[in-house]
Amino acid sequence: MSEDNEKRRALLAVKTLIQEKQYRSAFTLLQRTALPLDDFVTQMKCAALFEMIPAGELALKPIKIAVLATSTVTHFDRAFKFWLAILGLDGQIFEAEYGTVQQAVLDENSSFYAFSPDITIFFTSYRDIDWLVPPGTHVEQTQQVVQAAVSRFVSFWQAVRARSSCAIIQMNADLPYKRFLGHYDSLVGWGGINALNRFNLELSRAIFEGVTIFDLDYIASIYGRSRWHDTRYWYHSKHPFALDATGLVAKEMARVVGAFKGLSKKCLVLDLDNTLWGGVIGDDGWEGIKLGNGPDGEAFQDFQKYLLGLKHRGVILAVCSKNQEELAKEPFLRHPDMVLKLDDIVVFKANWDDKVSNIKQIAAQLNIGLDALVFVDDNPAERALVRECLPMVSVPEMPPDPCDYVSTLSEECFFEAVTFSKEDETRSDFYRGNITRNDFQKQFTDISAYLQSLEMYMTVGEFDSFHLPRAAQLINKSNQFHLTTTRYAESELMKMSSDGRTICRYYKLKDRFGDNGLISVVILKAHEGGVFFVDTWVMSCRVLSRGAEEFICRDMMEQARSRKGTILVGRYIPTSKNKLVAALYERLGFQKGREENGTTDWHFDLKKKTPPYQVFIQTAP
Amino acid sequence: MGERRHEMQQRLNGVFQDVFNDGNIEVFDAMTAKNIPEWDSLMHIVLVVAVEKEFGIKLNAAEVGKLENVGVMLTLLEERAKK
Repeated sequence: MSEDNEKRRALLAVKTLIQEKQYRSAFTLLQRTALPLDDFVTQMKCAALFEMIPAGELALKPIKIAVLATSTVTHFDRAFKFWLAILGLDGQIFEAEYGTVQQAVLDENSSFYAFSPDITIFFTSYRDIDWLVPPGTHVEQTQQVVQAAVSRFVSFWQAVRARSSCAIIQMNADLPYKRFLGHYDSLVGWGGINALNRFNLELSRAIFEGVTIFDLDYIASIYGRSRWHDTRYWYHSKHPFALDATGLVAKEMARVVGAFKGLSKKCLVLDLDNTLWGGVIGDDGWEGIKLGNGPDGEAFQDFQKYLLGLKHRGVILAVCSKNQEELAKEPFLRHPDMVLKLDDIVVFKANWDDKVSNIKQIAAQLNIGLDALVFVDDNPAERALVRECLPMVSVPEMPPDPCDYVSTLSEECFFEAVTFSKEDETRSDFYRGNITRNDFQKQFTDISAYLQSLEMYMTVGEFDSFHLPRAAQLINKSNQFHLTTTRYAESELMKMSSDGRTICRYYKLKDRFGDNGLISVVILKAHEGGVFFVDTWVMSCRVLSRGAEEFICRDMMEQARSRKGTILVGRYIPTSKNKLVAALYERLGFQKGREENGTTDWHFDLKKKTPPYQVFIQTAP
Repeated sequence: MGERRHEMQQRLNGVFQDVFNDGNIEVFDAMTAKNIPEWDSLMHIVLVVAVEKEFGIKLNAAEVGKLENVGVMLTLLEERAKK
């Protein structure tokens, strides 16, 4: 119920924006609010709101679509126009008068031909097919009946093709809910289910270039066949399927139209940690990530299999991950259950830059528009950033359970196709060969607005028995953001926090998307002469580059100063895994001191003011 | 008018206002499509579906067409509620 209210509020907000003439903002909000499975009334409301926006305000590309239907589609057409607009298309719809499909197609002077459509949709259903044969009919005769039914449709396509070069979309037969003899109807050649399945297969075989099939039967099955067939509205006003399914059909049909217009997506940009495998490669190592065995691991493996399947079907795969490149590549090279290989990835970006800049570079290197990209990442903050800064990139809302990754991607139909060629199969190789290897200028986006919108709050405290286990875990598990790679048992940490000379602090970060939990630990040791030494500083990589580093550093300085500290000293001990933080103290305004075997010490004079870091994190009350 | 019918009329009014996007609508028994310009055969379907949803009922094919005025709707809703 509260979802209903949220939707209602959002639609009211859209209406207000339209009344204030803020058409683009209204449409963006409407686009985010509307879902294909919204009920009929909501669908019509969205369509009505969309109709309030004056033509030309959204810069949509016009496309002429003729809908030749054997049922009432007026409501469908309204929803259809809306879902076309979401793809950037202005659907100019021609509706054949009820019951006139044959005349429209066979009469060269019909208003249908005068309309000169770019696309023609044969909006039919199982009712338009004569498939019922007497019980006991031999399968060969049934086959003839089926072929005759198919030929009837083919003759329509040919009639259209003779007078127009429009693309043709033909709906197949949505199998009815009813059966006469139960499962026997599917088994025997003259059975209703068997014959209609045969019809759908033969219909697919009969297409020629410029014709494609809309799998109405598949849609009916995912909607739920028993709900799909709503006879009341067929008897009353000839609506072909449940009114609540209108949005789903409209959205799917828009995707197919989009495919004809070349609007399908071309490239999938993938995050790595918790997207391609469970866990964080930098912390868990390739042996520790979840991939393969176990319920979690298998889900990720199946997701990789699906992605590989997409690659073989012409989708370009790219990687965009916040990781050290060598570490990020390890699973591809060494993990036995890794399905994707480095060869399958056309552009591999693993670095510490923001993902928006990286995605821009990926598009530029592939020489395709940003609007051809889909970005998949398990982290809602990253998704929000990309949606905000690159609205033309599709960013599906990934579910929390990796078991649902495949179905989420599949349902979006980003890669709807109407043709397939050898070129599609070998596309990845072509792109890999042609990729430009120029060094691109780092284009950093101004992401202050985004950071502010995250509404981040940090809770800070001294070690206590409640937080000790998690603090210890962070210290002992972290490899990348760990300046000195110290490892301490819980008992040692307990001792330190009560010895009177050591400050042990934990930091917990909440943002708009939820609680990130304990994300950093600092251990400061008081030495002689007002020197405070940063014995340990670890942080979770999930919250990098959000200002947490600056917030924590400021806190360290304040802590030291409050205990009459005069100088704060940090140390960087390099390992194979923590290159990430090699220049951290420099970035925070410390002075480089002594260097020995790669280990560097960094000083900050606490008599000076804390540097004016730009921090969008507030201290939690 | 009975209390229940009155309460139903309030709810039905909400549905009308929602469907026709007009907060000023006030339904009355004799109200028909003639009273609301947008209430054509297409919007009738939207209205009926919205009524079904609000009152948790399913109308049969014949009933859908018979709901020509508000009074008939309320009577039908009352009868359904008794079952």
